[in-house]
Amino acid sequence: MTLKEKIKQTLILELNLEDVSQEEIQDDAPLFGEGLGLDSLDAVELVVIVQKHFGVEIQNMEQGQQAFQSINSLSEFIEGRNSQ
Amino acid sequence: MAYLFTWPVVLYYMLFRPTLRKRTRHYLDRRFPAHTGLRAFLDSFRLSLSFAKTLVDRATTGVVGPDSMRVRFDTLDEFHKLAAQGKGMILINAHVGCWQTAMSGIHWLQRPVNLLMKREPGDVDRHYHEHRQKDCHYKIIDPEGFLGGAVEIVQALQRGEIVSVMGDRVFGNDKNTLVVSFMGEKAVFPVGAYKIAAATGAPVAVMFSHKTGPDSYAMELARVIRIDCAHGLRLDNLRPYVCEFVRALEEYALRHPYQVYNFHNMWAARK
Repeated sequence: MTLKEKIKQTLILELNLEDVSQEEIQDDAPLFGEGLGLDSLDAVELVVIVQKHFGVEIQNMEQGQQAFQSINSLSEFIEGRNSQ
Repeated sequence: MAYLFTWPVVLYYMLFRPTLRKRTRHYLDRRFPAHTGLRAFLDSFRLSLSFAKTLVDRATTGVVGPDSMRVRFDTLDEFHKLAAQGKGMILINAHVGCWQTAMSGIHWLQRPVNLLMKREPGDVDRHYHEHRQKDCHYKIIDPEGFLGGAVEIVQALQRGEIVSVMGDRVFGNDKNTLVVSFMGEKAVFPVGAYKIAAATGAPVAVMFSHKTGPDSYAMELARVIRIDCAHGLRLDNLRPYVCEFVRALEEYALRHPYQVYNFHNMWAARK
């Protein structure tokens, strides 16, 4: 399983996205608003999920903004952090 | 002395600004359904006068400092135990008493307090921290900011700090609300605090304040709510926790009927 697939699977499971399948989540679609349709409270869960499942801490707003654009950006952020 | 000026001001508003008097009726009609006519008018007057006095108190605390008011906190030990768990704490307040003045005494906890707070265009009064810019132990998290302040909220809780939210008013996304019976009718309540608690494992403390005298308030820890996230974070799984908060708020309204200052019609915005 690729990192992107693992991220999608984790988001579906942890955020209870019951009506969404992995295939439906596009890698470059926005996570918030249009796209996956997450909101600010989902963001709190997302910060915790990324920490708990991928061992990466979002330390400030700038990092959050960078990481939480799309599956692509989140994957790149996690890979970047883990390689450090 | 400043309280004397509240009487003519409130009387003016009650007599000549019916829209403001009407805003008191959302709550009062549910709290005192049998009161009509002059009795209902006097209820509105009493509630508005009581609110005006809290505005004076709030300004006094802001300008003179937190020591200008005596704040009694009977359950401080319990509070300390919660804070000592190291998971931070979500403090749920409501538009009752004078939470700003009461919270000026929260430095007893010796932990920073992060207020998740959005200002509305209609909010004419200034808050404690806005009067007193220096030595302020509050930090404001703007829920309208990027990701609704999610990163700051999680970081603050992980540092063992307090995140304070209002539990009786819906802002923003209607998706994160539940309709619950409140004072005999269906009303809308936000679920954000419980969702954050479920995600982070932080305990939820329901804290209300009430005015006990001209320069004194009491803070009470009305409930400690622990979220069991084993059932997932589906909206309806949060219902028991919202109901627990609402019951605490109802109990407060029974004990302090003229210190409930939610002038928003929470019963109208049903889903």
